[in-house]
Amino acid sequence: MKQNENISNPAEDENDEVLARATSGEYKYGFSSDIDTDIIPAGLSEEVVRLISKKKHEPEWLLDFRLKAFRYWLTLTPPDWAHLRIPPIDFQAISYYAAPKAKTSPKSLDEVDPALIDTFNRLGIPIEEQKALSGMAVDAVMDSVSVKTTHRERLAELGIIFCSFSEAVREYPDLVRKYLGKVVSYRDNFYAALNSAVFSDGSFVYIPKGVRCPMELSTYFRINAAGTGQFERTLIVADDESYVSYLEGCTAPMRDENQLHAAIVEIIVEERAEVKYSTVQNWYAGDAEGRGGVYNFVTKRGLCRGDYSKLSWTQVETGSAITWKYPSCILAGEGSVGEFYSVAVTNNRQQADTGTKMIHTGSNTRSTIVSKGISAGHSENSYRGLVKVAPNAQGVRNYTQCDSLLLSDTCGAHTFPVIDVANASAVVEHEATTSKISEQQIFYCNQRGIPTEEAVALIVNGYAKEVMNKLPMEFAVEAQKLLSITLEGSVG
Amino acid sequence: MTAAEKNFGQYSALMADFNGQRRVAPLLEKLSQEAAAVLPAAMASYRPDPMGVDAARPDKLFAPDYGVNLMRLGMPVDAASAFKCGVPNLNSLLCVVANDTFHSTTQLERNRMEGLTICSLNNVPAALQSKVYEVLTRSLKNSDPVSALNSLLLNDGVLIHVAAGVKVEKAIQIVNLSNPTVPLLSARRIVVMAEEGSDVKILLCDHSQTDTVEHLNVQLVDVDVAAHAHVELYDIEEATSTTRRCWQLHARQASNSHLSVNTTYLHGGITRNEYHVDVPGDYAHTELSGLAICGGEQVVDNQVTLTHTGKHCTSHQLFKNALFDCSRGGFGGKIVVGEGAVFTDASQTNRNLLAGDDARMTAAPQLEIYCDEVKCSHGATTGQLDERALFYMQTRGIPSEEARRMLTQAFMVDVIDNISFEVLRQRIHMLVEKRLAGAGASCGSCAAGCHTDESAQ
Amino acid sequence: MSEELLKVTDLRAGIEGKEILRGINLTIRPGEVHAIMGPNGSGKSTLSGVLAGDPRFTVTGGSASFHGVDLLALSPEDRSHEGLFLSFQYPVEIPGVTMVNFMRAAINAKRKYFNEAPLSAGDFLKMMRQKRAVVELDNKLASRSVNEGFSGGEKKRNEIFQMAVLEPRLSILDETDSGLDIDALRIVAGGVNKLRTEHNATIVITHYQRLLDYIKPDFVHILYKGRIVYSGGPELALELEEKGYDWIKEQVDNQ
Repeated sequence: MKQNENISNPAEDENDEVLARATSGEYKYGFSSDIDTDIIPAGLSEEVVRLISKKKHEPEWLLDFRLKAFRYWLTLTPPDWAHLRIPPIDFQAISYYAAPKAKTSPKSLDEVDPALIDTFNRLGIPIEEQKALSGMAVDAVMDSVSVKTTHRERLAELGIIFCSFSEAVREYPDLVRKYLGKVVSYRDNFYAALNSAVFSDGSFVYIPKGVRCPMELSTYFRINAAGTGQFERTLIVADDESYVSYLEGCTAPMRDENQLHAAIVEIIVEERAEVKYSTVQNWYAGDAEGRGGVYNFVTKRGLCRGDYSKLSWTQVETGSAITWKYPSCILAGEGSVGEFYSVAVTNNRQQADTGTKMIHTGSNTRSTIVSKGISAGHSENSYRGLVKVAPNAQGVRNYTQCDSLLLSDTCGAHTFPVIDVANASAVVEHEATTSKISEQQIFYCNQRGIPTEEAVALIVNGYAKEVMNKLPMEFAVEAQKLLSITLEGSVG
Repeated sequence: MTAAEKNFGQYSALMADFNGQRRVAPLLEKLSQEAAAVLPAAMASYRPDPMGVDAARPDKLFAPDYGVNLMRLGMPVDAASAFKCGVPNLNSLLCVVANDTFHSTTQLERNRMEGLTICSLNNVPAALQSKVYEVLTRSLKNSDPVSALNSLLLNDGVLIHVAAGVKVEKAIQIVNLSNPTVPLLSARRIVVMAEEGSDVKILLCDHSQTDTVEHLNVQLVDVDVAAHAHVELYDIEEATSTTRRCWQLHARQASNSHLSVNTTYLHGGITRNEYHVDVPGDYAHTELSGLAICGGEQVVDNQVTLTHTGKHCTSHQLFKNALFDCSRGGFGGKIVVGEGAVFTDASQTNRNLLAGDDARMTAAPQLEIYCDEVKCSHGATTGQLDERALFYMQTRGIPSEEARRMLTQAFMVDVIDNISFEVLRQRIHMLVEKRLAGAGASCGSCAAGCHTDESAQ
Repeated sequence: MSEELLKVTDLRAGIEGKEILRGINLTIRPGEVHAIMGPNGSGKSTLSGVLAGDPRFTVTGGSASFHGVDLLALSPEDRSHEGLFLSFQYPVEIPGVTMVNFMRAAINAKRKYFNEAPLSAGDFLKMMRQKRAVVELDNKLASRSVNEGFSGGEKKRNEIFQMAVLEPRLSILDETDSGLDIDALRIVAGGVNKLRTEHNATIVITHYQRLLDYIKPDFVHILYKGRIVYSGGPELALELEEKGYDWIKEQVDNQ
């Protein structure tokens, strides 16, 4: 707006100021905890991969998997097709394994380091069973390792497996082996190969046939140690006619250097089963000048293998210095349904290139994509999507709505969808709009006595409502607050 | 090394050998040398466009080993008898480009007017030389190997220059004819310069006379629209299955200017149309539209990059494809709104009809926005004819096949109605109707002059 | 006249595997006006759709003979040529196809069906002019796309206009009164009445008695759960208006 004399008026300048002030919101999860950590020296080699595997007492087949992935990774270069400026990453300067030290794995909470419990309490994630939210089972992952999973016994009664990935490898090796890497191959991309080589922990979920999981399952990720990366892996299998809602949250301390988070999420949905996967991503975004922050390079994909299965992704992306993720659905089962609901907010120097892929290979499959991008400050926010209809997929339907809201004249909002239809019975619709936050709306709110900062929060929340409504209740409130905080001082 | 890279290398080597021996004006010789200098870098930076239709990608289009007519040997083009133009009753200023050589017509000579220059690029008036050269070299800065190759190989071309304030009433019609006897690459060029406040309408008709010899036409249209000037550019392709067309528009618009570009694809082989439009001026308006009706194994790919850097500009894009049989359609539309391009209002629509069981459509509508005071939107749909409308028409007695044809025609209506040039609009309505009815590209009653003796000399 | 124009026998049909019409029997003779009434979801629109050949519905049994022709064996366009006209409850908008082109295509397709030469442009326009007068349809609508941007009343008048042009032997008016104000209703009904002769017949499908004040029926049938459960004279419609459908439902459901 600075270049534009025509529209300058005093009230607006004031608005701009308020908006600028509002963007300076502090990251309230920026503390780091003093926890004794087992951390291996920085660097990546075949020895390191072997060491990680050894530390985790893994079976031979898993080590093989890691080594194959590592050797493949060596042949790759980081992807550069996204609309992102990624400073060169020195993969040898990162430590690939960090775990809160514990002499033995904790049997009960008494054995868990109090500092660790305190950390999660400060984050609002109660892992003490009695305080835990009754409607939610939590797997808390600190740095590379799962520290505590709540409500396991209750879930076990129903045959539901919800545990850390390492534990699953020990207890349910057949299940893990059957599904690991089946949706996201280690050959999928640079970061998927890296993760497959060095992944440390994560969550494993198995919902047996016909079981409706009675509570939200949740994983909470926290990068604590400095100079480390986080490479967790989540594997969710929903057997025939089962249902599960899964939540993922994440934070990291404020550090000056960038931290790498390269995760993989794989989901398999069998016949008439339904998986709802929700993410509220609030990794540290770096400071206003773009120093520090997490590089969030994640591969998330689900396979709707069974007929009439359904996978729904909901994400609220507010954190990270750079986000590169495209939670996707392969709709293979007849009549299967894929959904993607996303709110991505970028402020200051944040960059996000996010979206989804809907690959329709089954007949009568349907997908819906609703993406709301909000850009402020000097940030860059891109939606990238692919809707693909295979030649043999009859009667496919897709609807995509992709909106961008600009809150400053120095940010960028971009849309890069690709629609590839090879079957003549498909109906595919894509719509996108880009607009500025309405000054009329802000003025209207002002006139009714609502200060500009609040008005922006109101308008943005209204704009994102369609997506926020898809979040489970517990998360929705948190996500709404996050939106407002991320945008504090952002319109200018 | 890909086949295309190899061919590019060979063309460069050939040109180096022929240096200075071609029968072209110094202007084109200089252009060729400048192009030769940038071509290696352009080739090195070339990346196949991941969104484009495979078959129409430059690296595929340039893979066959086409000959080039460096010595400018005469080619047997029978413009007088064989050429059938789709636009009769158009009292136009006509000139013909046969393969790659400019021919005037008596019709053009009789209608010469003050302030309007239509001539061969080998014959540019001295006063315009430097300006024309500047426009010709603009596309060399894009590090695009295709436009560099065109400049490298260019033997001839057409200049249309309209002096300030001159309004050209009659349409200028340029007929491109291809009739090579051996697989040939023709580099064609049209330079349109509309000076301040001028007004001009140009119709490009693209025809082939052979359906047995594969030929590649690399056609660049450079358009410079000065302040308050108004340019309309229409392109109709009625070629053959052995035609490969690589068409690029490079346009720049100054303040308060107006540019309309419309392409109509009725017949051809593989076509790639690129629209590169830069709008640095303020309060300018841009209309880009195109329609394609494809059957058999035809391929049409329209790729647009429209860059707004001026303030208060508006632009509309509308592209529609009807794809039958196993034809393929592509659309890539990028709107870039640069920093400071406040009050840009840009919209883009792409609608596709998949009417063939094996037809395929790839659409990539894109927005890149670096400014907040904007209104931008795009929409892309791929689908079928409305079944309810079909049934409704049938209950009124209209046979289903005819109803389908009418609905397909109706699907195209808004693109055609975008054509503000009345005679042409009516004509394209008719051509589309005929095309949908299965008729080939023909027009027996052409009165444009190309049937008569006064056509190509 | 005693010849049968339409004879429907035990007609069964449904949509996506769900049976909606469960044995319809109906006989219509030239010159007659039949009203078919019934509560929502009873199958009224399905019946009109099936008779006109709407591809959404699947016929699962029974027959329909239209002046001796096997109606169900014909394509929708041939049913039209044979003289069946359906006035749609929701006339379809067809952007890009002008009314003039639409009607010319319809008339000439019919003429071709009967081995007649296409109408000359002059004759066609004259005919359009005449028929427009029947429903006071604005001349301007002719150059617009079919039903696109028409008001509710204009759409229904446009249906009757098309009926006037195509001169059907049997017209089915599907909820033609829905969405009409009283003036539009009078014009539409007036148009229908003008087109009545002793040779053609009309089926009026309606929810309310209101339309029947303007288009007087000879017979009234009540459709419920896919069957005609009651038939009577015009007085039946008045009885329904007074008592509603509940008494019918009770009687049928208790059987």
